[in-house]
Amino acid sequence: MDDFEQQLRQVFARRPAPPGLKRRLMENRRSQQSRIHTIPWQRLAAVVVLSAVLSGAAAWHKREEQRKGEAARQQVFIALSITNHALNQMNSQLAAHGRAQK
Amino acid sequence: MKYRMFAFVLGAVALAATAFAQTAQLPAPSPIEKALAARASHVTEVTLDKNTLAFASKVMNGKDKDEAATRQLIDGLEGIYVREYEFDKEDQFSADEIEQLRKYFETSEWSTLVRERDRKGRESTDVMVKLVKGETHGFFILEVEPKELTIVLILGPIRMDDLGKLKGISGLDALGGVEFKTKTPDKKGGNQ
Repeated sequence: MDDFEQQLRQVFARRPAPPGLKRRLMENRRSQQSRIHTIPWQRLAAVVVLSAVLSGAAAWHKREEQRKGEAARQQVFIALSITNHALNQMNSQLAAHGRAQK
Repeated sequence: MKYRMFAFVLGAVALAATAFAQTAQLPAPSPIEKALAARASHVTEVTLDKNTLAFASKVMNGKDKDEAATRQLIDGLEGIYVREYEFDKEDQFSADEIEQLRKYFETSEWSTLVRERDRKGRESTDVMVKLVKGETHGFFILEVEPKELTIVLILGPIRMDDLGKLKGISGLDALGGVEFKTKTPDKKGGNQ
């Protein structure tokens, strides 16, 4: 029993805290707090960057479609104009043929 | 992993098949065209497949009467293929080349609407239409002049009402008159 008491006394004996423990604990706490605060900001920044990239890509896609559409539109009018020219020529030939037959 | 790969390959094949199906309607340029282009002083080539026509249709202003009419015409089309070769001098192409061109585009599906030849054989016009169940699904013109050669191929349903609406557009007056010609080919194309 004496031995047991002895052991208990040794275990519960008051010892001074290691030097710098309080400072380390405080630093640890501060860094944890700052990490908690920075995470939402990083997320927010990521969301902003991502949405900027996505909206930029969408705007580029729209502009590219517009450019292609304009080019195609011009081509359509060129094609119709050539078709029109060919039909006019055909009419002239047919008219000349008609005159020759008369 | 194997299934994913299989699905990927299947998807790629399906995409390629769709793309092919969309562009298969328009013919590849005839070998004669390359030779003609090499001799021509000015070449205009327009190839518009269904997708490109859809792009054009998107940007056409529906409020503008002329653009609305053009949009209505091109909306159902499968493709437009136009070639115009201009030459500095006459005799830059032979009758044989013209015949080969004609045969390249002429298939059993096409009916001749106008076949006009001048006596000297230097000028000719071929107009053909592709009729499906009595409706025009294609329009082909081969116009030959001493210094100019024009090929026009328009594929897809062509509503004459829509063509008629183009008559008001500056420079497209003859297109509006196509309706009359298709209804009465005998009067215009006397020597078909």
